Amino acid sequence: MVEGALIKIVIDDRPVEVRPGTTILRAAQQAGLSIPHFCFHPAFAPAGSCRICLVEIEGLPKLELACATMVRDGMKISTQSPRVREARRGVLEFLLADHPLDCPICDKAGECKLQDYYQEYGLFESAFREAKEKRAKIIPIGKRLILDRERCVLCTRCVRFLSEVTKTQELGVFQRGIHSEISTYEELPVKNNYSGNLVDLCPVGAITDKEFRFKTRTWFLVQKETICPLCSLGCNIYVDYHPGFTRVPGTAKLYRVRPRENPDVNGSWICDYGRYGYQALAKDRAEKVLWKKEGRDTIMSWEKILILLAEKLRTRHLAKNISGIAVIANAWLTNEELFLFKKIFKDDLGLTKIFFADPKPGPEDGFLLQAERSPNVRGTKEIGLQMSPARLEALSQNTDILIIFGTFLSDLDTPASLKSALGKIGTKVLIASQVNGLEDDIDFILPAAGMLEKSGSLTNKNGKIQFFSAVRPSCGDSRPEWSILVDLAKELRINSGYYSLMTQPDVIFKAIGKEIAFFR
Amino acid sequence: MAEKILTKHFDLANLYEIETYLEQGGYRAVTKALKQMTPAGIMDEVKKASLRGRGGAGFPAGLKWSFVPQTSDKPKYLCVNADEGEPGTFKDRYILTHNPHLLIEGTIIASFSVGIHSAYVYIRGEYETVAQRLEHAVVEAAEKGYLGKNILGSGFDLDIFVHRGAGAYICGEETALLESLEGRRAYPRLKPPFPASVGLFQCPTVINNVETLANIPAIIEKGASWFLDKGLPRDGGTRIFGVSGPVVRPGIYELPVGTSLREIIEIHAGGLKPGKKLKAVIPGGMSAPILKPDEIDIKMDFDSLAGIGSMLGSAAIIVIDEDTPILDVLEKVAKFYAHESCGQCTPCRIGTSWIYKIVKRMSSGQGEKGDAEELVRLASNIKGKTLCPMGDAASMPVLSLAQKFKNDLESCLKEG
Repeated sequence: MVEGALIKIVIDDRPVEVRPGTTILRAAQQAGLSIPHFCFHPAFAPAGSCRICLVEIEGLPKLELACATMVRDGMKISTQSPRVREARRGVLEFLLADHPLDCPICDKAGECKLQDYYQEYGLFESAFREAKEKRAKIIPIGKRLILDRERCVLCTRCVRFLSEVTKTQELGVFQRGIHSEISTYEELPVKNNYSGNLVDLCPVGAITDKEFRFKTRTWFLVQKETICPLCSLGCNIYVDYHPGFTRVPGTAKLYRVRPRENPDVNGSWICDYGRYGYQALAKDRAEKVLWKKEGRDTIMSWEKILILLAEKLRTRHLAKNISGIAVIANAWLTNEELFLFKKIFKDDLGLTKIFFADPKPGPEDGFLLQAERSPNVRGTKEIGLQMSPARLEALSQNTDILIIFGTFLSDLDTPASLKSALGKIGTKVLIASQVNGLEDDIDFILPAAGMLEKSGSLTNKNGKIQFFSAVRPSCGDSRPEWSILVDLAKELRINSGYYSLMTQPDVIFKAIGKEIAFFR
Repeated sequence: MAEKILTKHFDLANLYEIETYLEQGGYRAVTKALKQMTPAGIMDEVKKASLRGRGGAGFPAGLKWSFVPQTSDKPKYLCVNADEGEPGTFKDRYILTHNPHLLIEGTIIASFSVGIHSAYVYIRGEYETVAQRLEHAVVEAAEKGYLGKNILGSGFDLDIFVHRGAGAYICGEETALLESLEGRRAYPRLKPPFPASVGLFQCPTVINNVETLANIPAIIEKGASWFLDKGLPRDGGTRIFGVSGPVVRPGIYELPVGTSLREIIEIHAGGLKPGKKLKAVIPGGMSAPILKPDEIDIKMDFDSLAGIGSMLGSAAIIVIDEDTPILDVLEKVAKFYAHESCGQCTPCRIGTSWIYKIVKRMSSGQGEKGDAEELVRLASNIKGKTLCPMGDAASMPVLSLAQKFKNDLESCLKEG
């Protein structure tokens, strides 16, 4: 930040002090006043084209743009004068004259800037008596994107995003005047790993997401803050979740993921890999504790399975015969869980066969998406765990108990060799939120909360520790891994006094800090 | 008859050839500027001459040049605005057709004064033959050593490039012109930054109209006070008034700044054709607010016309007679600006189209009471609220027509 004397200005009779180089719009925001805007977006250079942010500056003959005008010392600004309100209404009236007003079927309804501003600054009766422009309304412009030109207000945020941020330039403005329209160049679609951001950026319902179109209404959604786990950057996201209609079972659902601004991590964006990958995490959830005995699934209670599992581990530990026990963790576990994992399996039980199974690295895209596709690789290292990859074939030779966290084993081996290796191991326990592919070769399945229903912290590749909270209530009988680990530790009766204090992730985090300086 | 500066030798058939131009004393001003004057001295002389921009806005040319930062280590550019698109305006075409070397000479002097080595002439695409003539003149000037490296042994280099537009009115707006010249869609730029500091290719840039630059040689050769004497103290020299409409002698008339509108119409243009009666005059290109017959005793200079709520603009005088329905005028105006709006900003994009839709309805006999007031309201919501001056250009004539000729418009309302 540039140091320097603050500039004193007055906005709507309110004295405000801001740094030099601040725009009027920013200064107003800092003073808690909002100035309407369509084309302005903090990540781009101002376009000044929507004209709804015009404000009155004392001593100047014309109204000036709040988005592009820098404050000067002593400036007196009005965002509510009659002239400003008239100009604002004028812009709204123009935009609405060229708008289909199909709010009842528009996915943006409820979070649409045009609706909001009309409610706040408009509320006039329409004077438009002429024929509306007819334009194409269902134009596929990308794998998941649909463009509606009648709803478009030509703020060009989409065009500028593709030109300034992804630099892929798939969209442009074509034609001119009232015939101006957003379009791809010929039939070449929007094709980059950030295309989903266009939907969030669009201030109206002109660009919608096929995955979201006509599925729900925005006002049913609950917005939760969390962290994307699909790579080691840890982008900050909002998860929009429908809590479900009380009388209609099965209506609770995760509908979409959107970026949450954090200049230190992801700016204003997230990648499509994370956006749609996160939504996939909510599907096919493990919900019951299952004992898969001779081809039959038997539902068990948590109490029973944990006693049974602890007993198996305990007897071997007491007999100093731990070489047959192997555990496989992954860097999707939180700092808190990895810490407990290390304490229980490495420190208390003294296991040596500790391995990791994580998703295979993928290509980096040079912007947000990282090669490492696990969110807590750095945290794993800082906690003091070696990420030795699980070689199941070798491991199966003299292992009779295997506890697996997560389902990424299938990323490391072919299904056939995985099956044959698992077949050689006596007892296989899977603790995971989804069971895709492994369920047939496992003896016990313990449903974990995964990323959606637990709280904790992740350490991103740059060492930034980010905390997150549960997005939705537990699914079935699933429980967060940290609480499974705590209860298992209690049953092991090695250090149970210590573990009975570990009642919440924040308590565990404090305990990590006591032992490891990095987490203080 | 007052002395002419720009159109002086227009009667010579071959004035556009460099030999003829030289015989008439051409390029003497360049020689004087490069050999006897300093860049700062030239700028001072132009400032003292009160030469105001002939494109329409009337900004003092010398002052504009002085805004270019001399300390910048970036190259500087001159753009000659020859995208003459304001309806009614045809003065630059005459200069370029008959006297292209006058523009080249002015361009060399301006470039030398500001420290520019590349000048671009942005000429409207419809002026193809004019562009060819200009290109021919540029080649001639280079052959004679007035362009290129080390001009007249002064050590000063300058190249002139002729660039054709593709037919959009908005390209005449100076920042849209820059965008177009750079190869992009001609969307006007936000100001600030102004072109003087961030212009063509992000470098300091001067943009002058053809007629403005064509006045420079005379100022340099004969001095600022001589030039100032030709016009008014705050608005020096002559203007080329282009008169169109049902007058006896339509055409261009180079007259002192401040000549009265009545004198131009009635004496120089020979008055209205027999049997025609004056109804209105648009005094400065189509975007200038219209004047009624009782308003034509006005001096034709920037300040006088601004004083009565109109503007001198490009000094294109459009004469309208009693046989022309005002609604037809309004329809032409509304159609033009709706067609030419670039569409970048909301009020101009949608406002001009909305206005045109109302006017078309009125023209088709479906006008309703209140339409004129509605036009005034919509035009007011455009005026002063757009990204570039085109919003004003589009709204001012509509405002003036709907206010001054409300009765004419209401006489066309649908029956009942």
